Amino acid sequence: MSFKKIDHIGIVVKDLDAALATYDHNLGLKAAPGRGGEVPALGIKNAFVPVGESDLEFIQPLGTEGPVATFAAERGEGTFMLSLEVDDIEAEVERLRGLGARVGNPNNGVAFVSMKSTHGVNLQLVQRNR
Amino acid sequence: MSAGATHIDHIVISSNDSAATASLFAENLGIEIKRTMSRPGTRAHLEFAKLKEVILEFAGPGEVQPYDEVKAKLWGFVAAVEDIGAAIAAVRAAGFEAEEPHPAIQPGAVFATVKTGTHGVPFAFIEYNVLPVPEGS
Repeated sequence: MSFKKIDHIGIVVKDLDAALATYDHNLGLKAAPGRGGEVPALGIKNAFVPVGESDLEFIQPLGTEGPVATFAAERGEGTFMLSLEVDDIEAEVERLRGLGARVGNPNNGVAFVSMKSTHGVNLQLVQRNR
Repeated sequence: MSAGATHIDHIVISSNDSAATASLFAENLGIEIKRTMSRPGTRAHLEFAKLKEVILEFAGPGEVQPYDEVKAKLWGFVAAVEDIGAAIAAVRAAGFEAEEPHPAIQPGAVFATVKTGTHGVPFAFIEYNVLPVPEGS
């Protein structure tokens, strides 16, 4: 198996600042300074909260387009995506395709596994330290 | 006061057929299923994998009902804490609801669900090495 670890859990929220404040206040979990921000190309803003070796990624949609906005409109707030860290994204995509999984082409170190290959779980692969 | 979560202990993927979903993850993704559990009385069938320190738990009904397709989703997660009593007290002090800690499925561990104040995320605490572990566990 080539997965290094659980990289992060993606959590869709309606108000990023409110969610960060809640998790800090209730659970003592603090956002990592300097990570995240607005990503206009994806129509989101995000922040990462480290918990041990993994992160929680809080994601707020900035508009009405895209998968995050659709999730928020249909289901409200909640767990959205599981992200697994890999060493070599291109090699991992090929490995999974060889196993029979449908996987999108890597883009900027990220690739998504088709939900048809996971019974509906939104699964992302990510390569850090590129 | 803070809950003092040390790491994510496990992430739960719920399914109407957890054995089938775990099998699909094994076949399609090469994730090794290390443990399977169906305990009478829990009404659940659980299968477990592990990626470094985090357990991936596939959870579903003990008796699978007829279905047209297997449907799974990322459900929620459990954070490990060093003092579950303090963690629950912190959540309650913030004005949110959490259940009383009770014995977990994991031997010697204590578990409590946080019911509000998680922005829609099913969430719980677990503390290990609290209770005596029966021989043979």
